[in-house]
Amino acid sequence: MTTLQAGFGERWVATLQATFADAAAALGDLDRQSGDGDFGTNITSAFARARGEAEEAQPSTYPEWLTAVSRGFLGTGGTSGPLYGMFFRELARCTDGDEPSLAELSAGFAAGLATVQRYGKAKVGHKTMVDALSLAVDALEGSSDENDPAEALGAAADAAQEGARSTAEITARRGRAAYVGEVSRGVLDPGAVAMALVIRGAAQAAGGSTDAVDASWMQA
Amino acid sequence: MRRQVVNDPDQMVAEALEGLALSHPDLVRYDPRRQIVTRRHQATDKVALLSGGGSGHEPLHAGFVGVGMLDVAVPGAIFASPTALQLHEGTLAADNGQGVLHIVKNYTGDVLNFTIARELADDDGVRTAEVLVDDDLATDSNNDDTEDDEEDDGGPGRRGTAAVVAVEKLCGAAAEASASLDELAQLGADVVKRSSTLAFALEAGTHPGQDRAGFDLEAGEVEFGVGIHGERGRSRIDFAAADDLVAHVVDPLVESLGLARGDAVLAIVNDLGSAYPLETYVAARAMHRQLDGRGVTVARSLVGPYVTSLDMHGLSITLVRVDDDLLRLWDAPVHTPALTWGGAR
Repeated sequence: MTTLQAGFGERWVATLQATFADAAAALGDLDRQSGDGDFGTNITSAFARARGEAEEAQPSTYPEWLTAVSRGFLGTGGTSGPLYGMFFRELARCTDGDEPSLAELSAGFAAGLATVQRYGKAKVGHKTMVDALSLAVDALEGSSDENDPAEALGAAADAAQEGARSTAEITARRGRAAYVGEVSRGVLDPGAVAMALVIRGAAQAAGGSTDAVDASWMQA
Repeated sequence: MRRQVVNDPDQMVAEALEGLALSHPDLVRYDPRRQIVTRRHQATDKVALLSGGGSGHEPLHAGFVGVGMLDVAVPGAIFASPTALQLHEGTLAADNGQGVLHIVKNYTGDVLNFTIARELADDDGVRTAEVLVDDDLATDSNNDDTEDDEEDDGGPGRRGTAAVVAVEKLCGAAAEASASLDELAQLGADVVKRSSTLAFALEAGTHPGQDRAGFDLEAGEVEFGVGIHGERGRSRIDFAAADDLVAHVVDPLVESLGLARGDAVLAIVNDLGSAYPLETYVAARAMHRQLDGRGVTVARSLVGPYVTSLDMHGLSITLVRVDDDLLRLWDAPVHTPALTWGGAR
């Protein structure tokens, strides 16, 4: 079984830190149009907590790095905090090794989707992070350790981005945006956008990068 | 205009918790890092009780930490659930090997974070059970505007309000008397089934740092069926004399609990924040007379601020149908900042 390159977990977390440092404000703007506007600050505070967790735990392996991110979100308020926390917890638990194989990572995303749906009671089409994550899980389905991880994750990120874009056409049924109903039409769901960025980050980290991912499409 | 005695609104909860611990050093401790309140001396020979929820409802829950009631309280920000991680830390701090009972008021965020905390505790080999408190009659089979649209799974259900004090006291006494985790969960669920609450407000509460209340009422109006977070009530009724306002609350409570001549209740006449004691006791008098007229005995009662909503000017009444076993648990000693009676600690 081939695993992702050594240091994948650490690179993924570094990528996410860089990505959300840039994108949090724009995500907050999206949230202000459809939700209660706290998503940007929640995600910033979750990653600040994750940094604190990492400083304390000194992670070296993929499960340890992802656990730090999970705890960062589980220590954050709102509804998206705990749901992202449980999502990252499933990813942290997807492997017993130091780094996951592509198949383990794919199973981790599927387990994360199941957990988010179990707790959030959201289905596809409810204008939530599920709309991005479910398409990524579908894209990864059947990928084996024969596939190139960066390529397979890149395809999953493309699918997640399409899913996130599709949320503009949906009137919210779940999550905070459900309170404003029709007003949420035409606005991208920030939870779905953030999920697409998370998966793009995995693809770039699998390719060896720690650069922030391009998030400009959310404003298009 | 409303003002508050406050330094930094964002630090108000933490500063008040520090103040609580400084005021009752023999009863409780506050851990600012984990953001939890624990008993001064951890109990070692009983199932632990943990409750928590948004702040702004003081003395709930931290005021009920101590012998005979809670072991740990986990306060969130004002009107916001504590985080899953905070609840997890609280659960680990509470456990002494005999398991932890979570007492949860029924709100979407609280239920989510407590459920996650139980899953995290399970990973650490800590046994937990949950009592869900949903006593607010105003939200009975009625989708609360402030909750998610959850038509697929029957809606969020009744809100949890002042009956949580009865659950914490009765389960707390049973835990001191060596009840098991399962027995406590069962007892708590039974107390919830026997409980109903209704509230009305003459004025909404005001968030720290703000000078306007959460909603405005005309002089002739009363918000009926109001929640403890400034949620709008079920309806607006005409302002009226105290006896009439209390009857508006007592009648549906009696009906919902099916109270009949000869039944006994525990009553909580609860000040929602800025009703003053003269008003509260006028309401208590009305409740006593109305229940007495129906042949229902008020076996025990609490009158005062127990579950507040910042400085909301209003009252809630909770009735709990009780029997002799529950009265024995109610009378058992309790030593907490907000509730104290009975023998030695």
